[in-house]
Amino acid sequence: MKLLTCPMNGPRNIDEFQSFGPVRDLIDPDATPDADWSRSLFRAENRRGVVVEWWRHVPSNYFFLAERDIVSNVVLRTYAPPARDGKP
Amino acid sequence: MAPGIRTFPFDHGGAANGTVLPTGSVALADLTAQPRFGLKGPGSSAWLEAHGVALPPVNRVAVHQGMRVLRLGGEDMLLTAENAAPALADLQGAWTAETSAKGYSSWREEGWAWMRLSGPALQPALARLCALDLRPTRFATDEIAQTRFAGVEAVLLRTGHAFDVFFDVTASAFVARAVAAVEKHCANS
Repeated sequence: MKLLTCPMNGPRNIDEFQSFGPVRDLIDPDATPDADWSRSLFRAENRRGVVVEWWRHVPSNYFFLAERDIVSNVVLRTYAPPARDGKP
Repeated sequence: MAPGIRTFPFDHGGAANGTVLPTGSVALADLTAQPRFGLKGPGSSAWLEAHGVALPPVNRVAVHQGMRVLRLGGEDMLLTAENAAPALADLQGAWTAETSAKGYSSWREEGWAWMRLSGPALQPALARLCALDLRPTRFATDEIAQTRFAGVEAVLLRTGHAFDVFFDVTASAFVARAVAAVEKHCANS
């Protein structure tokens, strides 16, 4: 059984999770050239190395971040997302 | 909807009508008709605390005026009132009358089934139904596990020698049949 550690619920079967893809910078569509905007919308980064990804623990609907080495598929750490607007 | 008008899954005309709840070495009791109230979203924990409810940490349970307060997240609470319906009704009345920030109702009384799993073969049955280690030495009374149970997303709560299970009410018949199958297996082994 492959495990992933949810920051709120602890280690769980990977079946309990849903991946939401890598964290990406928000770009301003009005200030970005069309080619870059198109790339941002339609093309995945897919670079070797460590990526930070959004994951969701489905039974508790808890979203968190995971650092994963996409070459070895090893999750290096998981953590709660930083507070936004001063709220948890 | 007024009490007595609702049709629950195991009632006549309900979606799980005719499904037999296991009563042997593993027993499953349906508590879906019992009162409960779910609050979720920004403001819900502050509103409850302002009304005297001491909230437990996430995935723990507190007791307030006979109600169980299950904290399922920072701003996600479930209050169950098996033997404290008037206290829950008072709290719900105050919440409904509130006009400032108070979170929103998560409709747990309609969206979730509430069942109680017990019996002498409880532990071997749990080992077949859930991937978590739920033995008393690892999972104590009043701890909450939000996980998968019988293949369905569920909230599990140990209440002494029994487990309360909350899950999507539409899966009532499926869960009852899964537990019945496990009960039969435990009885034969």
